[in-house]
Amino acid sequence: MELLLQTFIDGLLMGGLIIIIGVGFSLCFGVMHIVDFAVGEWVMLGAYTGWLMVRYFGHDAMFYLPVIFIIFSALGWVIYPVILQVVSGKRFNPAIMGLIFTFGLSITMKGGALTVWGYHIQSVPTWLTGKTLYLGPLTIPGLRVSGFFFGILVTLLLLAFLYKSRYGNVIRATAMDRDTANLLGADVRKVGAVVYSLYAGITAMSGALIGALFSVHSVMGAKYTMLAFFVVVLAGMGYVPGVIPAAIILGLLQSFVSVYIGGRFNLAALFLVMYGVLLITPKGIFRRGW
Amino acid sequence: MELQAANPKTLRSSLVWRLTVFILLLVICFIFPWIVSPLWLRIGTEVVMWAGLAQSFNIICGYTGRLDFGHGAFFGIGAYVTGMTMTLLGWPFGLGLLVSGIVSALLALAIGYPTLRLRGAYFAIATWSMGELIRQIATILDITGGAFGLQLPAVLNLPYFYYIMLLVTGLTYLTTYLLVEKARFGYKLLAIREDEDAAEMVGVNTASTKNWAFALSAFFPGVLGGIYAYWVTYIHPDSVLGGQITDVMCVMAFLGGIGSLWGPFLGAIVVQLIQRVLWVVWGEGTFYLVIIGVTICAVILFIPNGLVGLLEGTGLFSPRESVNELRKKIKW
Repeated sequence: MELLLQTFIDGLLMGGLIIIIGVGFSLCFGVMHIVDFAVGEWVMLGAYTGWLMVRYFGHDAMFYLPVIFIIFSALGWVIYPVILQVVSGKRFNPAIMGLIFTFGLSITMKGGALTVWGYHIQSVPTWLTGKTLYLGPLTIPGLRVSGFFFGILVTLLLLAFLYKSRYGNVIRATAMDRDTANLLGADVRKVGAVVYSLYAGITAMSGALIGALFSVHSVMGAKYTMLAFFVVVLAGMGYVPGVIPAAIILGLLQSFVSVYIGGRFNLAALFLVMYGVLLITPKGIFRRGW
Repeated sequence: MELQAANPKTLRSSLVWRLTVFILLLVICFIFPWIVSPLWLRIGTEVVMWAGLAQSFNIICGYTGRLDFGHGAFFGIGAYVTGMTMTLLGWPFGLGLLVSGIVSALLALAIGYPTLRLRGAYFAIATWSMGELIRQIATILDITGGAFGLQLPAVLNLPYFYYIMLLVTGLTYLTTYLLVEKARFGYKLLAIREDEDAAEMVGVNTASTKNWAFALSAFFPGVLGGIYAYWVTYIHPDSVLGGQITDVMCVMAFLGGIGSLWGPFLGAIVVQLIQRVLWVVWGEGTFYLVIIGVTICAVILFIPNGLVGLLEGTGLFSPRESVNELRKKIKW
C-alpha cells in the first residue's frame, strides 16, 4: 500500500514537470502546424544555460528561470522567420519540410552541445536540493514538489492568457482557421512569432528546472522529445488543456511500469501506448486534437 | 499553354550523354575494388550500402509522400534476422539474407496496414515510435542478445562484401526504375503523393498501393542490413536499430533530391564522403553532427529539390515530374 502510494506520488510529480514541455509544444503545433523535433534540444539548451549562469554568476538556479525565459523567447523570435519560410514556401510538402528542418536544427544543437561540452554530466545545485518532505511513510523530494507546482502554475498562466485575454483570442482564432483569422485582421505572421517565442522560452525554462532536478548533459534532449511527443499525441495535437491530464498519465505510467514491471520495459511501454493511441484515436484521448 | 514538342536532336544527344555517364559509372563501380586501398574499399562499400538505403527511403518518402521516421528499423531487423538465423539456426548466409528481406517486408505490411491511414506528422510520429519500440524490444529480449548484441562468424573478404552490396543496391535502383518510374504502380504512388483524396476519387486503390510501396521500401533495407551484419560481424541495438540510421538515410535522400531516381545516390556519396573525410581529418569527434544538421537546414531552405534539382537542365538527369509540372505543360 505504501509502495502504491509512493509510486503514485512519484508519477504525479514527474507528470507535473512534463506538463511544461508539453504545453508549449502543443501550442506551437496548434497554431503553426509545425511538429518541432527540436523540443528536447530546447530543453537541453535551457538546462545548460541555467548551469552556466549558476557557474559564472552564482545565486540559485530558480532565480534565473525568468532570465532564461527571456533569452530563449528572443532566440525563438529570431529563428521563427526562417521556419516560416520553410513551411510556407512553394515546397513539395510543407509539413514534411518543416519536420525535416526542425530535425536538422535538433541535430545541429545536439552536435554543438556535444562538441562544446562533451559527454560530461553536470548537476545544478539549488537550495532545495536534498530537502525532503516526510509524510508519514512517504518521502517527497522538495525539488520535485516545487517543479510540479511550477509546471501547474506556468500552464495555468498560459491557459489564462489564451482563454481570457484579447490576444489569446487572436491566437486561438489563428489556430482554428488561419486564413479566416487573417481575413478578419489578425496578423498571423506576428501571432506565429509570438507563439514560437513563447514555446521556446517555456521549453527552455522547463529545461533549466529539469537540469536542477536531475542532471545536465548533451544527449538528454532525445528523452524529452519522446516525452513531449507522447504527451501531445495523448492530449491531441494542438489541444492545450488536454496536456495536463496527458502529462499526469505519462508520469503515472512511467512510475508504475518502473516499479511493478521493471525499468527496462519503461520506454517500450511508452512507445507501445503512443503507437496504440495514434492508431485508435489519432486526435488524442479527448478527440479534440487538430 | 500548349504542349511543347521536344527537339528530337537534343533529346538524342541528351540520351547519348546520359548513357555514356551511366556506363562509365557502372565500369567504375565494377573495377573499384582493384584500384583502391582496403580503407577506401570499406568506405566505398559504405557508400554503396547507404545509396541503397537512401533509395529505399526515397520510395516511401519521395514517391509516396509519407515521411517514415522509423525506416532504420527495417535495416536493424534485417541485420538481426540474418544474425540470428546464422548463429542460432546455422543457416547459410544467402538464405538468411532472403529471409531477412521477406521478414522486414512482411513486417512492413503488418505495420503499414494500420499506420498508413495516418498522414503527415501523424505518420512520422507513429513510425518513429514503432521504430523505437522495435529497438526497445531488441534490447529487452534474450534471444537477440539484449543490449550486448550478437556476434556473427567473421569472414575477412572485403571485395566479396563490396560486390554483394553493389548487387543489392543495384537491384534497389533497378526496381525503383522499373516499378516506380516506369510503371502504372509508380504513377499511382505519385498521385497519392500529390493528392490522396483525388487519387482515391479517380479509382486508385490507395490503401493497397501504399501498403505495397511500404513493403517494397522495407525489403531492401532488410537485405542490406543482413549484409551489413555479416560484414561488420558484431551488431547491437544501438548500432543497427538506433535513430541515427533513419537520420542519415533521410539526410542523404533530401540532400540528393527526394523523389528522383539519382538523388539518393548523389546524396549518399556526398554525405558519406564528407563524414569519412571529417573522421580522417579530425578523428573521432562529434562536430560532424553540426555539419550534418546545418546541411539539412540549408538544403531545406535553399535547395528543396536537392542536388538533382541544381543539375536539372544539364541533360544528365531526367527532371522530377510532379503533377504540378505536368499540369503546367497541359492546357486545362
